[in-house]
Amino acid sequence: MSMTMLTILQAAGVTAGYLGVTVFLPWLLLRRRFAGLKRPLRIMAYYVCGNFYVIHMVYLLQLLHISCRPLLILGTLAPFGVVCFFRYRKNGAGHLDEWAGWMALAAEGKKGRKTILLKAGRWLQGFSAGKLKEWLNPCLPEILLTLGVIGAVLYMYGTNLINVYGYCATDVVLHNHWINEMGRNNIFVDGVYPFGFHCLIYYLHEVFAIPVYVLLRIFYLVQTLLIHFMLLLFLRTVCKSRYTPYIGVFAYVFSDLFYKYAYYRYYASLPQEFGMVFILPAAGFVITFFQEGNFYGSGTKGKIWGSVPGQCLALLSISFAMAFTVHFYDAIAAGLLCVGIAVGFCFRCFRWRYLKRILVSGTAALVIALLPMVVAYACGTPLQNSLNWGMSLISQETARDTGEGAGTSQEKPSDLGEEQEETSGRETAPSWLERAGASFQVKMDCIVERMDFYTTNFGRAGAWFLLGGIGVLFLAGVLWLILRRPGYGGVLLSVSVFLLLLSLLQASEKLGLPGLIENTRYAIYLAYGTGVAWSLIADSILFLLFQEKRLIHLGGLVFLVASWVVLGITGVRQPECYAPYETNEAIACVTNILRENGKGSTWTICSANDEHQMIRGYGYHYETIQFLRGMQKLEDNTILTIPTSTVYFFVEKVPLLYSDYISTEEATREVSLEGAEEPLSRKDGIKPYIGYDRWVTMSHMYYWAQAFQELYPNEMEVYYETDRFVCYRVRQDGYSLYNFAIDYGYN
Amino acid sequence: MTDMRTEAHVRGVRMISRRNFVTIAILMSVLLFLCMCLNSLKDYWNDYAVNTYTETAENYPSRVNLYLPGKGQTETGEDTQETAGEEIQVARSLVVLVGEQDSALMGTAREWVSYTKRDLLEYSSLTDCRGEGSRAGLPEMLVLDSACVDWDSRGEVDYLFQCVEQGTHLVFCNLPDVSVIESNSKVRNLLGIRRVVEPEVTVEGLHLCGGFLLGGETIYEEEGGDMENVFPWYVLGSGTKAYMKGILEGDVTNTNSYPALIWRKSFGTAYVFAVNGGYMEGTEALGLLSAMSAEMYSYEIYPVLNAQNIILAGYPGLADENREEMDRVYSRSIRQVFQEIVWPGLSAGFEQHRYRATCMMTPQFDYRDGNLPDEEQFVYYLKLFKENQAEVGLSGQNVSDTPLDMKWQEDQEFFQNTVEGYDFTSFYGGKMTDEEIGKALGVGIPTSVRTVVTDRGEMQTEVVRFVSEDVTAQSTLGDVIDGTHRNDFLIKCLETSLGYLSVSFDMTKVAYPEGEEDAWEKMSRAVAVAITTYGKAYPGFDRTTASECDRRIRNLLAMDYQDGRRGNVIELEVTGAVGEVWFILRTHNESVAAMEGGSFRQLEQDAWLIQVQEEKVSITLEPSDERYYQ
Repeated sequence: MSMTMLTILQAAGVTAGYLGVTVFLPWLLLRRRFAGLKRPLRIMAYYVCGNFYVIHMVYLLQLLHISCRPLLILGTLAPFGVVCFFRYRKNGAGHLDEWAGWMALAAEGKKGRKTILLKAGRWLQGFSAGKLKEWLNPCLPEILLTLGVIGAVLYMYGTNLINVYGYCATDVVLHNHWINEMGRNNIFVDGVYPFGFHCLIYYLHEVFAIPVYVLLRIFYLVQTLLIHFMLLLFLRTVCKSRYTPYIGVFAYVFSDLFYKYAYYRYYASLPQEFGMVFILPAAGFVITFFQEGNFYGSGTKGKIWGSVPGQCLALLSISFAMAFTVHFYDAIAAGLLCVGIAVGFCFRCFRWRYLKRILVSGTAALVIALLPMVVAYACGTPLQNSLNWGMSLISQETARDTGEGAGTSQEKPSDLGEEQEETSGRETAPSWLERAGASFQVKMDCIVERMDFYTTNFGRAGAWFLLGGIGVLFLAGVLWLILRRPGYGGVLLSVSVFLLLLSLLQASEKLGLPGLIENTRYAIYLAYGTGVAWSLIADSILFLLFQEKRLIHLGGLVFLVASWVVLGITGVRQPECYAPYETNEAIACVTNILRENGKGSTWTICSANDEHQMIRGYGYHYETIQFLRGMQKLEDNTILTIPTSTVYFFVEKVPLLYSDYISTEEATREVSLEGAEEPLSRKDGIKPYIGYDRWVTMSHMYYWAQAFQELYPNEMEVYYETDRFVCYRVRQDGYSLYNFAIDYGYN
Repeated sequence: MTDMRTEAHVRGVRMISRRNFVTIAILMSVLLFLCMCLNSLKDYWNDYAVNTYTETAENYPSRVNLYLPGKGQTETGEDTQETAGEEIQVARSLVVLVGEQDSALMGTAREWVSYTKRDLLEYSSLTDCRGEGSRAGLPEMLVLDSACVDWDSRGEVDYLFQCVEQGTHLVFCNLPDVSVIESNSKVRNLLGIRRVVEPEVTVEGLHLCGGFLLGGETIYEEEGGDMENVFPWYVLGSGTKAYMKGILEGDVTNTNSYPALIWRKSFGTAYVFAVNGGYMEGTEALGLLSAMSAEMYSYEIYPVLNAQNIILAGYPGLADENREEMDRVYSRSIRQVFQEIVWPGLSAGFEQHRYRATCMMTPQFDYRDGNLPDEEQFVYYLKLFKENQAEVGLSGQNVSDTPLDMKWQEDQEFFQNTVEGYDFTSFYGGKMTDEEIGKALGVGIPTSVRTVVTDRGEMQTEVVRFVSEDVTAQSTLGDVIDGTHRNDFLIKCLETSLGYLSVSFDMTKVAYPEGEEDAWEKMSRAVAVAITTYGKAYPGFDRTTASECDRRIRNLLAMDYQDGRRGNVIELEVTGAVGEVWFILRTHNESVAAMEGGSFRQLEQDAWLIQVQEEKVSITLEPSDERYYQ
């Protein structure tokens, strides 16, 4: 079987498993409760509830140090047990009797297979001819377009998945380590950190027995698909036309306008990108809350939590908590979006009856999200370094604001001075309006410059285009407010304010604002929000032009086709393959090794670092650099043994670059004598595996392997080989281990 | 009739119809036929009076066809040539033996050379070898008795290094004195010894690694240990691979520094094999040399007997002898014991592991007591053995010390009266030497006999051989029922080198027990263990009788072969054999995918039994395991 086919099957399996747990099971349980919500909101509700439950269940079990497969499965089914208990507690015996009778009939053969199949067949026939037709027919174009979106995302990001098997970001290995530790009920191994993503991957690993490294290789496609799907669902919630949502989604997938910073992290399974899935649902729920006036809907017996707004508030809490639980940057982005919504719906937001509920909901979200981390922190687990780093980043930004900001303000007079020189002819001092205009001009320049640098491929024109879009959206929002459509105008305003805030913060360095997150990351949210903005602009124009629903939908379809034409003219983004941190061959070898070695056998992979976490719990790992250093000073009594029955040596004939950033740059330099003649790197940690040092390390390893194979021609066999990689296998007797320390000529 | 039916109907009694009656009658007849007639027919068609194995020697090679090792004058030195492409041609390999010519060690090595069809040169010392050896070209292998090397002479050690550099593998059948190794770093380097820990150490057990001898990894623990367990303690350096190690008492963690017994040191160009102790001074050397040879190349193919024999010496007894003792021990007569107790027990084990017994019968154990053998009993056994594909041979043993010629006269008389013209083709000689057998042929041993089975002598190196122009001899390991480690190791060696296992059980002890240990209930347990142990350990080899084995011996001793490898195809050409012959193919991480001109069977990992049916055979290899995910 090819690795490509395996990857496709694995991706299908992971998607099915994940969506089964986070969408299908919540649907089974909550479909009646969420019946009042619009369909897109309902899907978002199932999804966030599923994730929320799974992640917090894992949190709870991990903090109690009792997490294991049976408990996780039991925990997954527990809500059903509870529901059954309440549903059947009064006549449970009767139902049990009925079931037992049915089972007895089946066991005795009185109700045979044929009868059951016949009944099932009739039901299916009725379903397909009736309900299914009833559901599908009206929304067939939408289904086709949604399938198109899925196909587009799979094409854009799946191409990398089936061509590049390794991790595409350096920190995935670290996440792998953290998840592996959760297998020992050792959550927060490196300190307190939002572990939502890790809890989920751990859950999928434990319950579905999928190796962690496979999940981390594949999950990015699932989460990217869901990011796009949430975008579509959100737009379906807020747009008037059925088809305008697809404009934003397709543009976001295919447009070549955005710079790589906006996309490249989608090629790796990273928490921040997973957390993005919960931003738009949070916005969707809070917008619906503001749009719905009646807190105590009919049939809720006066309880707000049974009504749509009440459910939206609860789901807002859950979504916001999820964003917080997964990654702080997502929480910040969600927070900014909420600020945007507060501005957009200021006419309602600051009314006490809305505000108090929003505050309660937000507080609940914070408590839910932070509780596990606070508990761990209170139990003595320190904060994880990256949190300290994040905080130091903010504090540095703040310090710079006070220092550099001062510098900026110091620069300003000089700018003004220059201007004064230029206008020296005019003896009159500039008016405040002129000064404000000049200051605005400078600030806009900064924003455009940063946007040009981080977000767009099309230079300043592209940046102005994006900003123009935000401006148009803002104006459209104001217009609809004036036209007394506050619910709709509020949405437009909210999104435009959110994007404006992001644009400002992206230029925070220049503008002297506090930088909340790393500068490159704003581009991700900006591009994501721009998709929303474009759809909303198109939608608002249609809504302005037509009032009749059919015409709006038709216009939406025309706009969609027009957007495709524009996309075609301006340029369509091509799928990219990023440089991995493990070769495809190494992943193929790891997969084969795991398949071939059962539980009884012991084996070790000697490789450059990353496989260490991938195979944890299955086999052992030996660092290449440690291995080579072990025979650097070869003496009579130098012994280097690896005490497992099989040892695999991974050697890259064309060593990877292993740069610290995600790139598409391909390695081309082959191992050589020249490299082997260079001394081994003495650097610490992973540094001997980066760039030039990796080439030297791999050159040494290659010539060691050649020399060892000469001594042990029958024992050192080639396990897997391509032009760029070779894996050797040595099988040894556990009682008589080979001494791998040999004179290979370049020790 | 109508009235009767009506009456019966009225009475509620069901009458049998004529049709049913006929059906029942036919069924009864068929049952009767199956039960009675088939047995009678089987008995009728059982040609027990004819020995199935009489055709043995007539059409098969005799001593005149014996392969004799050459002196390596031609083509030697080009044992392995790699030419353009992937073609590798293996020419006749020359083995040089350096040691005392009449020592057991050299005798066994010589045997091995003749079995594996190599050329041979022998020198009594390395000095002689240095002087004359170069004339014959570069040998494939230099088998050395360390005592014949002058370790103080720098020239000799340098010469050994030179041999290794030129690609000649060295096999040290034993090692020089510890003091020599301790004091000479060059010798240590040659042998791959990192350091000498102690000049003498007593080990608790021995660990034989898997993949070296057939039979797999084995740990010989102290209990039942009769293996040499005191030797110098050497720790190996880099570039070595240990095949057998001693197990020290207590320390179970640092197994790597356990004293090495059999190992190899690799120089990239050739290997140096070293044996610490006297493991190569007996028949074991056959297996060790074959295993070492298999380690030297990417594949090794060599001829084997492929015969697993079980010899029941002195079974059955036909006369009612030793009545008093039999009554005391078994409360039965000898005939009853053999027929009702011994055979059912044995046959179950044989059947389970597909063994075919060779029953070396003796009409009487005691020729003086006047108890004559029972003719009917003899016929009964002949039929029984025929049905069970067992062979009936003749045993030369008796408890009355009757000379062989007189015994034969008496036996002959009995056989003529019972089954006239029955030809025995195999004969059990017990401890008889080849000379004694030679003298007895035609006098005490019938002229129809083609093979003589003897118990292996302590100093005997030859396992199978010709004792006369037309008669072969095959050694058995005796009764392996003692289950000693030494025996087990020897069996592993013989299976590796020849695919041969022949064990004999002396059933005379059952008839004439000398102690409690000889009682069948004890003996049977040990026999069952032996049959099961080796039946399970070597299921791939053929189970044969002595006469079948004789055919294979003749072929093995007479045949010659050439092999070569072209890519992943091994080509083998066999000459001088009549009918099919067998080879063992040892590979490294490769398996046999297909074969033309014969068939193949896997013995264990990287070991295959090749049955050659035609003169030219090609064997296609493939990697043992391929990656599932590409």
